[in-house]
Amino acid sequence: MPEAVLLYFCGAFKSTSSPLSMRMRLSPYASLFRRTFLTFLSVSVLSISASAEVSAEAGKKLFKANCASCHKLDKKLVGPALGDVTQRRSEEWLLKWIRNNAEFRASGDKDANAIFEEYGGSVMQAFPALTDDDIKSILAYTAEGDKKAAPAPGDAATAPAAAPAESASSPWLMYVLGGFLLINLVLLLRVRNTLKQLNGENPTSLLEDLDIVTKILVANKRFMTFLTVVLALSFLYATYAYLMSVGVEQNYQPVQPIAFSHKIHAGDNGVDCNYCHSSARHSKHSGIPSANVCMNCHMYIDGSEIVDAAGNPKYGGERSPEIQKIYAAIGWDPEARTYIEGYEQKPIQWVRIHNLPDLAYFNHAQHVTAGQVECQTCHGPVQEMEEVYQFSELTMGWCINCHRETEIKGDNGYYAGSIDGSASISDRLVERFHNEKITAASIGGLECGKCHY
Amino acid sequence: MASNKVYWKSFDQLANTEVSQRLAENEFAQDIPADVFLADERSLEAQTSRRDFLKFLGFSTAAATLAACEQPIIESVPYVVQPDSLTPGVPSFYATAYTDGQDYASVLVKTREGRPIKVEPGDAGRFNRGTNARAQASVLSLYDSARLRGPILNGKDSDWASVEASLKKAADAALAQGSQFVLVTSSVFSPSLQAAIERLRQGYANFQHVEFDAVSQSNTLDVWEALTGVRALPSIDLNTAQLVVSFGSDFLSGSTAQQLSSDYAARRKPGTGMLRHVELESNLSLTGSNADKRVKIKPSEVSGALAFLVNELGGSAAKIALRDDLTKALKSVAGELKSANGKAVVLVGGDDTNVSKLAAALNALVGAFGTTLRADKPVYLRRGSEARVANLIADLNAKRVGALVVAGTNPVYFRPDFEKAIKSAKFSLSVTDRMDETAVLCSAAAPLPHYLEAWADFRPVAGEYTVAQPTIKNLFNSKSLLEVLGGLSGDPRSAKDQVAAVAGSLGLNWNQTVHDGGAAVTSGSAAGAPAGAAAALAASAKVSKPVNGMELALYENAVGAGYQANNPWLHELPDPVTRLTWDNYLTIAAADALAMGFENETNSDGSLDGSYATLKVGKRVLENVPVFIQPGQTAGTVGLAYGYGRTSAGKVADELGVNAYALGAATGYATVEISKAEGTHEFATVQLGHTMMGRRIVNEVSLADFIADPKGTNWNEKPTFHTIDGHKTSEEANLWANHDHETMHMWNMSIDLNSCTGCGACVVACHIENNVPVVGKQEIRNLRDMHWLRIDRYYSSDMSKERAEEERIGGIEMYAKMEEPSESPSVVFQPVMCQHCNHAPCETVCPVGATVHSREGLNHMAYNRCIGTRYCANNCPYKVRRFNWFNYMANEQFADVNPSQDDYGRMVLNPDVTVRSRGVMEKCTMCIQRVQYAKLEAKKAGQPLADGGFTVACAEACDTGAITFGDVNNAKSAVRAAKADARAYHLLEEVGTQPSVFYLTKVRNA
Repeated sequence: MPEAVLLYFCGAFKSTSSPLSMRMRLSPYASLFRRTFLTFLSVSVLSISASAEVSAEAGKKLFKANCASCHKLDKKLVGPALGDVTQRRSEEWLLKWIRNNAEFRASGDKDANAIFEEYGGSVMQAFPALTDDDIKSILAYTAEGDKKAAPAPGDAATAPAAAPAESASSPWLMYVLGGFLLINLVLLLRVRNTLKQLNGENPTSLLEDLDIVTKILVANKRFMTFLTVVLALSFLYATYAYLMSVGVEQNYQPVQPIAFSHKIHAGDNGVDCNYCHSSARHSKHSGIPSANVCMNCHMYIDGSEIVDAAGNPKYGGERSPEIQKIYAAIGWDPEARTYIEGYEQKPIQWVRIHNLPDLAYFNHAQHVTAGQVECQTCHGPVQEMEEVYQFSELTMGWCINCHRETEIKGDNGYYAGSIDGSASISDRLVERFHNEKITAASIGGLECGKCHY
Repeated sequence: MASNKVYWKSFDQLANTEVSQRLAENEFAQDIPADVFLADERSLEAQTSRRDFLKFLGFSTAAATLAACEQPIIESVPYVVQPDSLTPGVPSFYATAYTDGQDYASVLVKTREGRPIKVEPGDAGRFNRGTNARAQASVLSLYDSARLRGPILNGKDSDWASVEASLKKAADAALAQGSQFVLVTSSVFSPSLQAAIERLRQGYANFQHVEFDAVSQSNTLDVWEALTGVRALPSIDLNTAQLVVSFGSDFLSGSTAQQLSSDYAARRKPGTGMLRHVELESNLSLTGSNADKRVKIKPSEVSGALAFLVNELGGSAAKIALRDDLTKALKSVAGELKSANGKAVVLVGGDDTNVSKLAAALNALVGAFGTTLRADKPVYLRRGSEARVANLIADLNAKRVGALVVAGTNPVYFRPDFEKAIKSAKFSLSVTDRMDETAVLCSAAAPLPHYLEAWADFRPVAGEYTVAQPTIKNLFNSKSLLEVLGGLSGDPRSAKDQVAAVAGSLGLNWNQTVHDGGAAVTSGSAAGAPAGAAAALAASAKVSKPVNGMELALYENAVGAGYQANNPWLHELPDPVTRLTWDNYLTIAAADALAMGFENETNSDGSLDGSYATLKVGKRVLENVPVFIQPGQTAGTVGLAYGYGRTSAGKVADELGVNAYALGAATGYATVEISKAEGTHEFATVQLGHTMMGRRIVNEVSLADFIADPKGTNWNEKPTFHTIDGHKTSEEANLWANHDHETMHMWNMSIDLNSCTGCGACVVACHIENNVPVVGKQEIRNLRDMHWLRIDRYYSSDMSKERAEEERIGGIEMYAKMEEPSESPSVVFQPVMCQHCNHAPCETVCPVGATVHSREGLNHMAYNRCIGTRYCANNCPYKVRRFNWFNYMANEQFADVNPSQDDYGRMVLNPDVTVRSRGVMEKCTMCIQRVQYAKLEAKKAGQPLADGGFTVACAEACDTGAITFGDVNNAKSAVRAAKADARAYHLLEEVGTQPSVFYLTKVRNA
């Protein structure tokens, strides 16, 4: 079956890219390419699946691809709920309506025009590419609903993607070893005691043993000197480490006003970081998305459709309380599906996690656009974070280290181009540094005034 | 050789007193301010035992430790709906027009996150494009916390509806009772406002509109109105001029200074055909300082001098006897005018009818009409009529005014007679930006939006229409005058709609016009004036005899007419000539001061004190006017600046200086009686500190020498050192390893001393761009000013080595005479900022590496590393490093002067530049934030960095293009061309610091 093959291929493609860290490392162009490719595939699926049989399974895929942005099974969205549409209308009527509703309305069908009026004249697009079988599949899916439909192979491939691998190194091993040593020491002392008894000497208790050992050690000047030095050094190191950590807010994870999960958005759904943090490419600030950016998706996704792993609705089919906070901020009436006139909007007061001191100038665009550094390099695996925390220490040493190690993008026209016909900056850098790596430090990335002014 | 002139900065330096020597040796004139708390007796008498001290110490340590445990929670609040045009962190620029009641300029406003933070010059080609000090500073006036927040009616907070209803009621009552309804404004050159006023006139038969300018041009306008039929002054076109003769007109700081400065500098590029400038004036003005030849003249001699010139050039005017030396000077001027026929222009200052008539006649005789003086292209910026003001005062006193609206001006302050008269109006409303001297006397006051908050349009000059767009939502409950007047005449349209309608009627594309800030239009031209009629005016002009007594000439400094008197940046900017800050004062010639017993004394700490004088003009008296002895001041004359002596402007301006308007000298000149008053005035000068002594600091050459020796072999020699390998320049005789300056960029700055007029716009621009703190009068008096960029002014002496040889004068006498001021000293200005030495003396002495060199040729300053030893400032040969003696942002001592101490003033801070704290050194960074931004933009676009795509704040603000900044590694850059110029030299080149800043020799067309 060509459809199955294609779906399989599609799923396979997805699954190869499913390790999330890899997915995020794709450049915006690559991800665009991937999306285009997938769209192309799904279109191919649609067109080739003409010969396929009617199945609710295929219908679900088609529904998600073509209908879900305006329709839900169980409630009104832009258009009516479609859960029981097959009972309301005849299949013949539905075929005509779905294929080209404008033409159908023009033919003077009363019901068609009535429903058009009922929904405020919002125009539904025509689907000339859908075959009768496709439409019947969709209708079959609407009649069956979600519970009976088996998950599509593609979905299955993506779902269990994020299986975190625990690090093998564990402090338990050290504790166990330490315990063994301690037991061995006690055993040795006991053995020595038994030997003493055999020799006819006075047996000593464990405490007395310890007392003797301590006395020997205290009497040993070398040992005491060594111990003092070790203790002093440890104390100094601990003080130094403590002082160096003052103001370093690594792992800072404040509670946010909305329990926003980067894992769901950037991870599970693969939303590009730049989609929401769009100013990171242009500005010194990465930009926290304004509520209207959230609404681009959450106008349609209100949480009632979210299902947990077992396939049960996460919020009992109700709207997610977290998503409703966005509605409260911007003034969206999810029932009427309109923005409320004259609503006093309430900005969302997020808690800032990454706080650089004012004396340091940091520019996101410099790193994201000019340096093409991945967001994760500094922010860590955000796509795996339910709640974002500060991944890096954000100290000057940490910045400087990266500047020493990171090579510049010498093919950028700024370096490679020549303004006056003489050697370009790239050429001059190669001449000066020969075969060395040309890093941010080579072009002055360690100079005070580059970040402090 | 002109370069052998000796320059001196003050009388003290001239006399080489002990004080000035000591000041020259010390970078910091004052010690650490321990005396401030030692002087506080309470703190010395306070009883704190050792145990108490330890308790406090223990508690504060514990408290600080506890407080440090918790990091503050910082919120980050995004927009709910982010505007499409805005990206946080990326500036947006809006074309608009700057007006403050006095000035007009086409500008570009930089906004960040919706806040205007910087005013830049508008598009090239626009009339009066550019920014003077006031235009630069105007962005702070927006955030002035002294602005009126909401309407006030009968002394109580009110609302717009009540105020407008009261006004309507009063206007209607006046109409019914046959009394007048008067609107008082400054000159209106806004087509939409003129239309709104016209609509009001239709509705009210008793309506009168009185326009007046704070510094009046009324008589001059009357003369030109009679000539051309249009109430406007002709525009001056220096582009084809060879000679400009000015009689105290101060055209380089007047209402069209941006336009004129730019043309002036362009025409004064050294070489054959360089514009020559002859100035005849009483005060030593900014313009006079730039003249090639300066003749001292009393204001009362001007009409006689002009009449003399008219007669010399073949016109006919009344003849009058003049001083012999003046006659001699005028004969030479007449000769020059004749030879420059058709390419000369005569400009006059003040506002005297006869002088204006004679000047018009003289211009007709030298063929200026239609070439350098364009009556066919009139400037509409000044339209006021003093006759109508006098009528209004008479009507008010006779209780003939039923309703009075004062909008955007302050007649009580500008015209002393208004104070009594305004109380006679039945109802008076002041639509104003603050509770000024007029508003406090009115029955109602209502806030006017700042120019950055409102829609407006202008016709500044024939052939140009400009639109001003708001760049921020109204901070306070203000309302555009267009809407206030519209409400009265039943026009419900918003200000924007009214402006758009006018733009539409001119056939302009609205979006394009707003985007460009304006458009060329055909309407508004005048026919021009017949030169014959103008020449005939000379006969009707009355030529007055020179006055024997003292004469007063009023002038404008950076504060201007006084509309922005509450702007601390304008006070902190030193006067270009006197180098005094935070004051106005009587400038007087040394001989007159001696005769009248006035003294200027420098104290041991370098601060300057002066006597007080009492001025009497007619019956009007002005008391406690500080006296400052000014070289170059014409004997028998004194000068005084407008704009000070406010009583109700805000905490910065109030009680600062004296009000020159109170003398009622409407023409700008008056005969004055001066008497000495008791007391000593404390001046705040930036002049005595930071001296560079008598070395070759400003290099100067005469035009003739320049043309004869274009390579500068004789007038721009590089200093050399004797070494074992022969003579070497400081660059060759080098102790240090060179930095790598070839790989990346190498930023250099060229300052053309020939173009710099000394106006000071760059100083204010630098303040704004770099969050430089305002420190106030007392700290400047302590010689602790914070200017990153200063404009040194040097006077010259006529004595030179050549002349001494000729006249067989010996060495001792020669040096003594070199220190003597000439009758009329020639003046040079030299902007000095951090020279970004490539072998920087500051870098080698910093114990903590807080100031280090970059491979792009800049000297970096890391504030957070600085521990405040001030070694760097002591080791700097240019004295350009500034130390933060206080936390100016929070110390309550500076609450009255530092704008950043309140929530509004803080909004003007540049978010890309650190606000420095107490105890750190700071200095010019060469606007590194702009350099970094431009480099990043280039990288984002994937383009090599183009020359001219960006520049530093001082260079951008400079109307004359004196400052050029760029990358000398770019073979096509303008700065590289300047560096190769024969005029280029480094300041104190012999020190071997190899600065990245270089100067171009001044060429005087003498």
